[in-house]
Amino acid sequence: MSRIHLGEFEEIVLLTVGVLYDDAYAVAITKEITKQSGRSVNVSAVHKSLYRLEKKGMLDSRLGDPESKRGGKRKRLFSITPFGKKALDESMELRMSLRTQIPELAFKWQMG
Amino acid sequence: MREKINIPKIPHAFFKWYCQQEKYEELHGDLEEFYYERVTELGAAKARLCYLIDVIRCCQPYAWKKTKGQTNSNIMMFKNYYKTSSRSLMKSPLSSFINVFGLSVAIGICLVVYTFLAWDHSIDRFHEYKNEVYLATFFADRDGTEQQYGMTPTPLGEMLREDFTHIKKVCRLEDRNVVLKYEDKVFHEQVRYSDPEFLEMFTFPLKWGSPGSLSDANSIILSEEMSIKYFGEENPVGQDMLMIFGKDNNKLFKVTGVAEAFPKAHAIDFDFLINFENFKISDPTYDLNDWSGFVNATLIQVDNPSDLADITGGMEKYRILQNEVQEDWAISSFTFERLADLHEKSGNIEGDISYDDNLEARIGMPVIALFMLVLACLNYINIAIVSAAKRLKEIGLRKVIGAHRRQVIVQFLAENILITFFALILGCILAVTIFIPWLAQLAGWEMELQLIDKNLWIFLVAILLITGIASGIYPAFYISKFDAVKIFKGSVKFGKKNPLTKVFLGTQLILACITITAGVVFTQNNTYQSTRSWGYQQKGAIYVHMPDTTAFEQLQATMIQNPNVVAISGSAHHLGKDMASVVVHVPGRQYEVNELIVDPGYFETMGLQLIDGRVFQDHPESDKQAIIVNEQFVKKLALNEPIGQLFEIDSAKYEVIGVIKDFHFYSFFNKIEPTIFRVANPGQYHYLSLRVNDGSEKETYQALQDQWASLFPEIPFQGGYQEDVWGEYFHMTNTAERFNKVIAFVAVLLASLGLYGLVTLNVSGRTREFSIRKTLGAGIRNITSNIVRQYMILAAVALLIGAPISYVFIEAYLDMLFVYHIPMSYSSVAISVVILTLVLLAVISTQIRKVSKSNPVDGLKAE
Repeated sequence: MSRIHLGEFEEIVLLTVGVLYDDAYAVAITKEITKQSGRSVNVSAVHKSLYRLEKKGMLDSRLGDPESKRGGKRKRLFSITPFGKKALDESMELRMSLRTQIPELAFKWQMG
Repeated sequence: MREKINIPKIPHAFFKWYCQQEKYEELHGDLEEFYYERVTELGAAKARLCYLIDVIRCCQPYAWKKTKGQTNSNIMMFKNYYKTSSRSLMKSPLSSFINVFGLSVAIGICLVVYTFLAWDHSIDRFHEYKNEVYLATFFADRDGTEQQYGMTPTPLGEMLREDFTHIKKVCRLEDRNVVLKYEDKVFHEQVRYSDPEFLEMFTFPLKWGSPGSLSDANSIILSEEMSIKYFGEENPVGQDMLMIFGKDNNKLFKVTGVAEAFPKAHAIDFDFLINFENFKISDPTYDLNDWSGFVNATLIQVDNPSDLADITGGMEKYRILQNEVQEDWAISSFTFERLADLHEKSGNIEGDISYDDNLEARIGMPVIALFMLVLACLNYINIAIVSAAKRLKEIGLRKVIGAHRRQVIVQFLAENILITFFALILGCILAVTIFIPWLAQLAGWEMELQLIDKNLWIFLVAILLITGIASGIYPAFYISKFDAVKIFKGSVKFGKKNPLTKVFLGTQLILACITITAGVVFTQNNTYQSTRSWGYQQKGAIYVHMPDTTAFEQLQATMIQNPNVVAISGSAHHLGKDMASVVVHVPGRQYEVNELIVDPGYFETMGLQLIDGRVFQDHPESDKQAIIVNEQFVKKLALNEPIGQLFEIDSAKYEVIGVIKDFHFYSFFNKIEPTIFRVANPGQYHYLSLRVNDGSEKETYQALQDQWASLFPEIPFQGGYQEDVWGEYFHMTNTAERFNKVIAFVAVLLASLGLYGLVTLNVSGRTREFSIRKTLGAGIRNITSNIVRQYMILAAVALLIGAPISYVFIEAYLDMLFVYHIPMSYSSVAISVVILTLVLLAVISTQIRKVSKSNPVDGLKAE
């Protein structure tokens, strides 16, 4: 496999981790995705993607401090690795290159 | 400060259970954060629901605990074994199917046998006091052998009750035939006279009424079947039934109880129960203190089974009492048989209340099961050895990367137990859905598989291990033996030259030969049985049971006018129905013989053949001191000149005036016994028999029934064609025939399946060889002879050994089942050999066809 595979939802999670930068943990990511995309997301789906991305080496993680709103439990904070950035860039590039290759004619619909 | 709402306990516990410890903190922290937020936003109830949904949705592999086993190399190995095993099974689905199907049929049969034995063993063991209730029996010398009898002298019961303090309860039983009437329903029935303790000792549950009511002499308790027969589904308690003991002797009984349907595993039961006191009413002349009279059974119940030795010791005085009265028939000892064991022992006890028809089946069925299991295991072994040729590389590779021989053995055994496990499941399904219902219906055994029986599970596990190991141990050792280097060099010669494979196949053929012979012989024997002479002319004869002499005279007077009636006669006993036994004294010895009391015309009516002397003269008062004997009597007493011999019977002298050709009284199951005929007094007639013109049986029988209905509308007709008196016997021989045919079919199926698998594997292993032969110009003939030669020598040897074994074995089997059977002939063995050879040829020819049709180029390209 020459290209790094990234699923659609995984890509969104990966992007959101970047957006949130220093406060990227599951709950915040879930809320952010819901806020930005308007789609309802369950925390379990986010968990799954986060752990998978970590396994693939696109994310790094560390444990934060305990917080009372979490019942005194620590949270796992994620950050993008260089490999993660490369994956994002490649995915973007591919999309952009494909998008630019669409001939203008394809968007000329016969109206009426 | 906002109120802390606790996390719901049950979902939390569930989360804790599945979530791995390292991730618990972070994951549950996320869930808690959502939960507390939702509590403030949506309220506690909704938050709880959302939390529950979250917990369930989080239950995914990323959160799960990792099983420890994954790191265990042994488990990893087994996973690998499983993978390779299932792959090799799927690679040759045909031989896998043969293995699994063959084994499952055999296991199914084993399960049937188990069910039968368990059912047989449980007979009459549902009674609460099965270990405390005993039947009184005695031993008596009968022509030199000690025979156990199940009936007891009439006064014994009362005396036991009075003389022994250990005996808690005593119950006497006597069965008699009566006519029962309720409204317009009138039938001949057998009622059981019993002491009130009967229902306390035998804990038959009652559907309606109370068991205590038996102490009332006017009450009657019915079985469920009889209740339905007379009253339908209604509760009959409180209804009156009229019991007709004899002419002008009847009594009204009140129904006070109905038994629940008897458990399926029972031998002792009843149709109608009435108090023993009624015995005096039904038979006023009967003397309850007469030691020469017998009741059907006397049962005792003790608190402590160890008291029994005491009681048995105290029986001596009764023996003396008894023998003073009955000198002819001295009792040697009294013994007691436990209710729990009664069924299994009753084959050896004459005239007891229990019965046992299953003795032969108890021996025969396990043998058959073993046969089938051996057949299926041999199939498996053969196919396993040959198909292992395809897995040699796998074994070599395993060895090279460090597998011990032990590990390879374990692998193959485990694989085998897995296969056996599938076969076991299929076998259970086959047994429950097909085999057991079929056999239960065929043999009339009311058995079914009891799943709650713990022994069944032990049996299943035992079958699994025994079959799995027995069929797998040899292939496992054999296959694991090979040297890895030799395997890769290709110098292992395999499968073709294994002598044991041939021995196994040979054994299969021998077993199949035996079972086919059994099927053939039983079919032949059945034809033989239906044509064998009964010793008299059963065809064209009709009999009817008469209530008394007046009735006999009335019916005789009307029937004699019927033009179709050739002969008519009366008798106290009747062939196939009823006889008595008497003791014949000769100086220094005595013999117990059968006795029939008949009128002079009886011999002609029934077609009994006189071979010496004369029959009774048809003249009242003549031949009162004469007897006619059968050939067996002459033989047994070793008489040179029977006519004119004198014998003492009941202290009177009788002279032999004629000899009758031997005849079968009950059926071919029973040996022909020495029998005497005496002339009947007119008052003794209980049977009326008719000989009718050929072809007019139906017509005359109808006329007889019509006549009966007009003469005695109150009494049910009890008669039939003489040909039908052995109905039960022919039913049993038919059953035996069908059973053996099915067994033979299954055996042939198993053997041919095994052979088919073996030949297929062998031929496909030689594809290259045959392709080369074909390209070099070998014709179909050459190839045929090549394949056939390999098996025909083996088959010939197996059949040469199998034929004589079959002959001897089946002869013994017939001897065990039938007293009078078809003489064992070579033809039956020959037929089975021919059948087997044809099956073999058919199996082999399918492969020859395949080889001859295949393109040699494909064969050479393969591999």
